[in-house]
Amino acid sequence: MGSVRIEKMTKSFGDFTALHDINLDIKEGEFFALLGPSGCGKTTTMRCIAGFENPTSGRIYIGDREVEKIPANKRNCGMVFQSYALFPHMNVFENVAYSLNIKQLNASNPIKQMGIYGRLLSSRLGKYPADIRNKVMEILKYVELDNHADRLTSELSGGQQQRVALARALVMEPAVLLMDEPLSNLDQKLRHSMRNTIRKIQQDLGITTIFVTHDQEEAMSMADRVAVMDKGHIVQIGTPTDLYSNPSSPFIADFVGTSNILEGTVEGEENGFTVVKGEGFLLRSSTKTKKKSVDVIIRPEHVKVEAADSVIDHNETNVIEGTVIMSTYLGSIVRYDVQVGSYQLIVDTTYSSGANIFEEGKKVKLTVEHERVLLI
Amino acid sequence: MNRLKNSLNGLTVVKVLIFIFFGLFMLLPLLSVFVVSFTGEPTNLLGALTDPAILNSTIEKFKNISLDNYKRIFSNAGYATALKNSLVLAFTVTIIIILVCIPLAYGIARTKMPFKKTISALCMIPLIVPTFISAYAFIIMFGRAGWVTQIYNALGGEGMLLNPYSMAGVVAVQVFFFFPYALWPLVAAFKVSDISLEEASQNLGAKSWFTFIFVTFPLALPGVISSALLIFTVSFSDFGSPIVLAPKDLNLLVVEAYREISGFFNWGGAAILTVVMVIVAAFFFYLQHLFTKGKNYGSVSGKPKQQKLIENKLLTRVLSGYSLFIVLIPLLAMLSVALQSVATTWGKDLLPSGYTLNHYKTIFSTSMGNIQNSIMLATGALVLSVIVATFVSYFVVRQNSAKLDFIASIPLVVPGIAFGIALIQTFNTAPLQLTGTALLLIIAYTIRRLPYMVRSTMGSMRAIKADIEEAAVNLGATPLTAAITIVGPLMLPGIAAGSVLVFITVIKEASVSILLAPPEWAPMSLAIFQNILRAEYYSAAAMSVILVALVLILQAIASFIGKKQQL
Repeated sequence: MGSVRIEKMTKSFGDFTALHDINLDIKEGEFFALLGPSGCGKTTTMRCIAGFENPTSGRIYIGDREVEKIPANKRNCGMVFQSYALFPHMNVFENVAYSLNIKQLNASNPIKQMGIYGRLLSSRLGKYPADIRNKVMEILKYVELDNHADRLTSELSGGQQQRVALARALVMEPAVLLMDEPLSNLDQKLRHSMRNTIRKIQQDLGITTIFVTHDQEEAMSMADRVAVMDKGHIVQIGTPTDLYSNPSSPFIADFVGTSNILEGTVEGEENGFTVVKGEGFLLRSSTKTKKKSVDVIIRPEHVKVEAADSVIDHNETNVIEGTVIMSTYLGSIVRYDVQVGSYQLIVDTTYSSGANIFEEGKKVKLTVEHERVLLI
Repeated sequence: MNRLKNSLNGLTVVKVLIFIFFGLFMLLPLLSVFVVSFTGEPTNLLGALTDPAILNSTIEKFKNISLDNYKRIFSNAGYATALKNSLVLAFTVTIIIILVCIPLAYGIARTKMPFKKTISALCMIPLIVPTFISAYAFIIMFGRAGWVTQIYNALGGEGMLLNPYSMAGVVAVQVFFFFPYALWPLVAAFKVSDISLEEASQNLGAKSWFTFIFVTFPLALPGVISSALLIFTVSFSDFGSPIVLAPKDLNLLVVEAYREISGFFNWGGAAILTVVMVIVAAFFFYLQHLFTKGKNYGSVSGKPKQQKLIENKLLTRVLSGYSLFIVLIPLLAMLSVALQSVATTWGKDLLPSGYTLNHYKTIFSTSMGNIQNSIMLATGALVLSVIVATFVSYFVVRQNSAKLDFIASIPLVVPGIAFGIALIQTFNTAPLQLTGTALLLIIAYTIRRLPYMVRSTMGSMRAIKADIEEAAVNLGATPLTAAITIVGPLMLPGIAAGSVLVFITVIKEASVSILLAPPEWAPMSLAIFQNILRAEYYSAAAMSVILVALVLILQAIASFIGKKQQL
């Protein structure tokens, strides 16, 4: 098991710089997500760790070992590929046993090697020793595939193939487990249960795990910490709650959950609150800032909707006036689109039966607590 | 420095070895033939690199470089006529084949002519038979004592219907044995061209012959031109039929080059002829490549078009009769060879005077060695080409090595006789004296047939996704181990199909065998050739039958593998 540390890593393909100055410090046993839109460099980062790409500059450490000059086959990173990349000519057992065969191959004399090559080409050409057999069956049992050991991988369902890929990576007892969009090839339902399975295995084994995803929900629900990437930069690293409540940029606020982002100008200070003015609103925020023009971030669920004639104490909370342009009933919540100045704000309110829903065209007052107005 | 160290893994070593292989056995020979064509005397380029004395003499020779040789070729009536004759031959064959094939292809692609399946099946025969055997079969049929000549005379004709020992004989053999190369592309072209356009033409009141000439044919024209260029190259490079049939006074490039090298050891002359051959063949190959680029007439894909096949009785019967005539001649030629192989004597009669299996007995008692040689040499070439082709396709597909892709397709444009001369010329002295060894023969076969193998392996290589290989490396395998344990087995079907093809073509190969095979390694093709030269026709016939049977069996295996692959 090992930690992973990346220092000042860059990667260019010709004129195109895919990664700018990447720094990561992933602790031993941590479940770490690389999150970002496609083309942000998250997969390239992972491929650099695995050794399929050579960084243009910078250092990568797995445990205490500096690895960027060590070839991919000696890095001991188990990888689960997006397409699973199972060997189609081998059955489940042979797929999982592959790394153990290779390990033995490297430790054998040429004559023994012939036998190992034989069984790698066809299980009829060589017998598996008991220790390999036991180890493979143990891990297959762990992923609940011990009954499918003799099946061809093409005969398995998507979820089963995923577990074969996982077992194949785990059996080599890797220092780090790398997963490239592990859930993207599964249907919605399976994805949910697989999420739990992966998380449980990771916790059981305590294996350092890095996984790449473009799905913020996946990253937020599974990972201990998340690095959000954009255009080859890491824009923020933090725990899921950290990222959600303290996004460092409008990009993250928007990428991690839904946000209302407004442009504002700082007017000054009042009772310890920062006063921000923008088109159609005047807000007080508990965020301190030295900037003049700021982005104002307000999460939809932090806004309350009140009738236009209700009396609200302006010292207690922020009040914005607006007009409902659409209301969508989503079961447990009601989502309003409210026109405020030139902005359309999204507001989510919990719905309890019997409460009335503000109709389209209705004038309303929106309230947001000072702590919930973020200035970036 | 580190980058260098990183890249020095097993695969890089293999890549370097492959480049050395091509460089040493293909590029160097071609280059040295080119040099010799200017210096006019043997030039040992390889020796020049290792031995200072040879280097000095080579430099001396370079000082003598002149265009004299080329000037001489155009003043030497023999060479100029040879070039002219070869071009005329290829041109005539091309024109005739296209004219012969258009009705045949139209009949197969567009009509419900009777015996269509039989006709299509019989079109395979010419592809199985090596041309020197077909040429010899034509002697049995049309020669002075041939049975066709007998019938012709009985019907009141005088002399021979067709003298096989003439330009016309060579043309006839090539037409009847090369037409399938043009037929199938033409059938595809006729199938692809849009029927609704023809219907539109008919709807506008055009007669059907008018529609054919002005609509159908122009639509199929790209297919026609590309097949014509292909036929031209094939006919121009063919060695089998001219060497058997061309009379002394008919100069053809391939024959002339062979005589220069095997009879007179005239290196300069042979080199010039070789260079001319390669240039002409490469030019027409390039034209064809240019023409088919971006077009795919061979494959009909996408939605199957509703084809309305023509049922007009008169038309289909005429087409069918005509097609049967075309395909029957190669069949009769082969039957004649088979008949001769079991004849006691077959003189100036319609049929042999008696039948015997003695010729086969003789073969199995005295010429078993030739059969063994053929199989050994073909196996050697197969193993070597599997190894080379597998790695070539690996580097081309995985590492985008355009250079290797180009190099590996060069053999397509080099006529066999030219390549043979280049090899002899390069390897007949130290430091690498390989002329007259089985090894050089195997290497020659391998390089010559490599494009087939590469095409086959490249197809299966493209079907293997890159991440499967990365997975193996990720699990601890070196790239070389991954190639052996993962990529290799997955490519097996493609390799198997390609190997059978290589095996077959090597057994059929005439030019390289005749030029390069040492007596103790004489393969079947060389034995047949020598038997024909010595007028031992009965043993030649029996050996030919065995060769064709061998090829047929292998072809059956190949199509079996092909079918299994598709399932």
